[in-house]
Formats: sequence, C-alpha cells, structure tokens
Amino acid sequence: MADKILKKEDLAKLIASVTGKGGRFVAPTTAARQIVFKKVSKAEEIAPDYILARNSFKEFLFPQTEVIAEFTVCKDTVDMRGVEVEAPETVVFGARPCEAASLAGMRALFTWDFVDEFFTKRDDNTVVITVGCTKGDEACFCTSVNLSPESTEGADVYMRETEDGGYAVQALTDKGKKFVAAHAAVFSEGSAKARALFMPEKVPGVDLKKISERLKDKSHYDNPVWKKLAMKCIGCGACTFVCPTCRCFDITDEGTAFEGERRKNWDSCQYDSFTLHASGHNPREHQPQRWRNRFMCKFNFYPEKFNSKGCVGCGRCIRVCPVRLDITDVMQEFSK
Amino acid sequence: MENTLRQKAKDLLASGEVKVVIGWGWNRTKTRTTPVFITDPAEVDQLVWNPLCVNNLSVYLTRKFKDIQALGKPAIVAKGCDIKNIVVLITEAQLKREDVHIIGVACEGVVYKQELWQGQLKPEIMPTKCHNCDVRNPHVADFVVGGKSTFTPPDEPAGMVFSKIKELDSKSSSERWAFWINEFSRCIKCYACRQVCSLCYCERCITEKNMPQWIETSAHPRGNLSWNLIRAMHLVGRCTFCGECERACPVNIPLNLVNQKMIMVVKDSFDFKSGYDEKVHPPMIVFSPDDKESFIK
Ligand code: SF4
Ligand code: SF4
Ligand code: SF4
Ligand code: SF4
Repeated sequence: MADKILKKEDLAKLIASVTGKGGRFVAPTTAARQIVFKKVSKAEEIAPDYILARNSFKEFLFPQTEVIAEFTVCKDTVDMRGVEVEAPETVVFGARPCEAASLAGMRALFTWDFVDEFFTKRDDNTVVITVGCTKGDEACFCTSVNLSPESTEGADVYMRETEDGGYAVQALTDKGKKFVAAHAAVFSEGSAKARALFMPEKVPGVDLKKISERLKDKSHYDNPVWKKLAMKCIGCGACTFVCPTCRCFDITDEGTAFEGERRKNWDSCQYDSFTLHASGHNPREHQPQRWRNRFMCKFNFYPEKFNSKGCVGCGRCIRVCPVRLDITDVMQEFSK
Repeated sequence: MENTLRQKAKDLLASGEVKVVIGWGWNRTKTRTTPVFITDPAEVDQLVWNPLCVNNLSVYLTRKFKDIQALGKPAIVAKGCDIKNIVVLITEAQLKREDVHIIGVACEGVVYKQELWQGQLKPEIMPTKCHNCDVRNPHVADFVVGGKSTFTPPDEPAGMVFSKIKELDSKSSSERWAFWINEFSRCIKCYACRQVCSLCYCERCITEKNMPQWIETSAHPRGNLSWNLIRAMHLVGRCTFCGECERACPVNIPLNLVNQKMIMVVKDSFDFKSGYDEKVHPPMIVFSPDDKESFIK
C-alpha cells in the first residue's frame, strides 16, 4: 500500500532537500558507458531506464579501501592512532529489491563477534530506497532465491514507478518513516497507477532446500563436479567485487618505513593468496576449491550461521564473468 | 565448419593423441559462449565456433591451470589472434610447440563483447583488432578449420583504438596524464585484466609480493596508477592486442589504448611485433651487438 506519491518533477526537490541538509544522495547514473551508483546532485544525472547498476551500493557502507588507523614507528614503540569513521548522512535511491536484501547478511557479519563501527556507523546513517524493477535481463534470478521485485527486505522505503513517471512511496522502517517525514514537503498525497513489474523466470529445477542439504553433507568437498563446473574459472575475483553480499576484506599497512596508515581493502576468496598460509601451505590450492568456497558461503554459511541470504539473485556475477561461469548452473547441479 | 571441428576433436581424443580439447561451447540458454574442456570423444558436439567465441583460450595453457595440465596433452581451438599468444608462450619457454595441438579456425571476426550480439556480425560491434587483422587465416596451426579468408587489412590501421591514440597523442602531456588518472580512478583492483591474460602467467605477481609491498594493493589513486603502469610495462613487446584485459575489466578502463600504444612504440623502436614467429625473441629480452643504442655497451 503506497502511503505517498513522489511526483516526477519532485525528485529534483527530494535531492535538493537531502543535499541541502548536508547529506549525500547516491543513485544509479551513467559513467564510462555503464550504470553505476554514484553521488548525484541533480535529477537529470539519474539513469532514466536501467536494469541495475554494475556495482552494488555496498561501497557506500563498506568502501573498497579505507584508513582504519594511522601509525608512527618510534624508537621503542609504535604509536598507533585510531581514526574517526566518516559516516555522512546518505540516501541510496534506486537500489533494487535484490541488492537491498543483502543488508541482513552484511549486518550480521559486521556485528557478529566484533562490532565493526566502520560499517555500523555508516549503516545507521543510510536510508535505502528501493525501486521495484520494471525491466530485467536473462541474468536476473531473484525469483529463484525467494525474492522478487516486490520484496522489501533491507529497504527503508520501497517505491514503485508509476505510469506518469513518478513513484508510489511506501515507508517501511522507522528510519524510512522518519526520512519521509523529514522531507514531507516533497511528497504528495494521492494515488497513481503503478507500472507492471518485471518477474524473472525461475531457473528450472532449482531447489534451495536441496542445495542447503547437499552442502551440509561435507562429502561433496571432493566431488569431481566442482572441477567440472569451475575449472574454467580464471580466479579474477570480479564476481566477488560486484556482488552485494561479498564482504571479505584484507588489512594492509601502507606508508614509509616510519609512518603510515592501516587500511581495510576488499579481498576475494577467488584469489589464490586469500588462504595462503605463511608456511606456504594453501588449503585451497586449486581454483575449483575456491569456487566451492564461494558457493558454500552463499548457500550454506550465510543461511546456516546468520539465517540470511548469501545470494540475492541479482546476477551481477554472471554478467561480469569473463568466462561466463553461471552460478545458476551450479545451483541446478546441487538441486539434483 | 563446426562438423569439421567436432570430427577433428573426436579423432584426436579417440586416438589418444590429446587428452583434452579446449574450445568454446554454449551456455545453458545458448545465448553466450563459454570455455569447455572436452575429454570424452562422445562429448565433442558441445564444441561451437561462431562470432561469440571471444575468449582467448590460450590462458588455459599457462602454468596457473594445474587441473587442466593434469589432464594431459591439450588440443586448443584458437583464432589467429589467440595463436599469437600461444606463439609468445612458446617463445618465452612456457610451452613447447609439440606439447599443444593447435586447431586453428579461419575467422571473419568476433564481437567486442558478447552482450552486443543481436544475431549478426556488423562492423560496429567488432573490436579494432578484427578490422586490422592479418591472421584471419591461422598462421601457426596443426589443423585449420574453415575456408580461407580473403580479407586484407587496411594499409593504415583503422578503428576506434587508433583514432583515440591519435587524439591522445595530439594532446599535451598534462592533458594525457589527466585522461589516464581519470580512467584509472575507476579501477577496483580486481586484477581481472591480469587473470584473463595468458601472458600474465607469473604464479606470484609483483602485486602479491608484500615484503616489501612494491605495489600498493589499495584502490586509491596511487595504488591504481602503480598497478596499471606495472601491468603495462610488463607487457611491453609481449602483448599481442588480443583485447582480453579490456573485455574482462568490469569498469570499462580502455586498456586496449595502452596496449596498442606500446605495440606501436615497440614497432617503431625495434621493428618487432609479438606473436608471429616463435623463433624470434622479443626485444626486451635479447641483446644484439649491433643495437643502435649505446648505453648498454
Ligand atoms: S552471488 Fe551473484 S547473483 Fe548472487 S548476490 Fe552475488 S552477484 Fe548477485
Ligand atoms: S568472475 Fe568468473 S572467472 Fe572471475 S573469479 Fe568469478 S567465476 Fe571466476
Ligand atoms: S582479430 Fe582476426 S582472428 Fe582474431 S577474432 Fe578478429 S578477425 Fe578473427
Ligand atoms: S580489470 Fe579493470 S578494474 Fe580490474 S584491476 Fe584491471 S584495470 Fe582495474
């Protein structure tokens, strides 16, 4: 049920209202011949007609690289200093229902045995506005992981495009309701006819329960099927970097011999160095084993440990993969 | 053509001459091609050849792919441009000529990216390499599939990459710097460009050497610039302009410009082009007493 209407011409006012209060407005825009989430300042910058952005909006909560401490090496000690978390008020507009559903897993991980304030402070200051999809492509498979363009998991505000180019607005969470109230002047009362949603076809034969059961039984570890499916993987990691739910990182020190900064950088389980031990031993020596980990993470670790989705069916990994390794093929295989 | 290809693959596997055929096949929905590894003669029908066969499969011949090497001697289906990379691998002692069976395919071009395909190969969806290709008829192969191509490349290289290089060359160095800093600013340090490249075969890339860390792994401007420079420098005189790095780059960094510019510099300075003759060594690794430069003497 829509509570409010955002008229087409009022989107610009919403952006002005957010940025006027010092917030950043993040939306899908066109850059370097792609749709990407970026900070925008004008309504015209927002891509009018997109399926979904190449990146997920995770980089605004969990940046690709960030300084988490600074250090100076002194004669007998190392002086280590914390840094303030930069957590500007942020509005993510035009996220898709699939990627918003990734937030539950992110939150679970970053508050699990340690509260990572670099994530939580940003998350607290971010309002996620999803817009139901009216368009999709053959890589979309949200409907095979129990989601759909109507899903509201992770969204603070859910919108549907209307026939007249505006949006029907539904505030869901407290944060979302506060947001709509804070910018009340921009929204209107009334109703408008919503455009039809795009429903991706289900991947034939996929059964999440079956997948999860099969993955629980560790005998699949040495199943030759991993080789069969993932031998072509070149280990580039592109799939993990564009994935909204992947959140592995590496800690690295940079600087001169005497002073520098400690950084938290995105990492990927698809790299051979990811599990390389100092001894030289690598428990995941072969690429199919790394791929097995990626699949396990999405369909076993996250559902089991955090009761959340490890894969939201956005299809980004399929689109970017240079060898067209399709995760839905693996889902099919493990549904048998 | 596909029938000849499949028959050849079948014969090679059945006779035991090779243990695996590395080629292209369809994905599940038959909308994209994807690499396939055929070990069973009964499965050769998976092999396809069409303008969507963009992948340069020679990457699978490199030492990183231990699982594939464990299968035994490979045959590889390769376009002329892919064969150039195989030639470089042989020149650089990564592979012996007799250790790979090359099934060359006569080629009339491929798409720049598979998602551009709409059922027809039009010049505007082909990469610059195809418009200037002098190896449409495979130059090094054990067997060639398909009829001879009659295409002759233009005298003056043409296409987007060359026009853009010309445009950049006419700019001042500070404008060029600004152009590249802006392009590299998008880099997400995924290293897809490295992984997809058959000539980036080092088992431990310099970016992974961290005692000391030569190349910062952070995707900040300094880290991105140093990574992209080192990738470029390590491919001077070696890169064949196959274009895989640019195709794989998820953020559309125009790596083909860097690569082609290096090729032009090497051609001008050393009259050398990589990938044509496995017996000729690239200029960066040979010393010749009559080198026109004197600094080394
Ligand atoms: S695994 Fe692929 S489809 Fe699933 S959430 Fe990640 S990028 Fe999207
Ligand atoms: S994008 Fe494809 S090739 Fe690259 S790591 Fe992921 S599955 Fe492997
Ligand atoms: S460069 Fe030549 S051999 Fe390679 S795909 Fe294009 S036309 Fe074919
Ligand atoms: S593929 Fe593109 S984004 Fe990835 S490391 Fe290479 S240049 Fe950077």
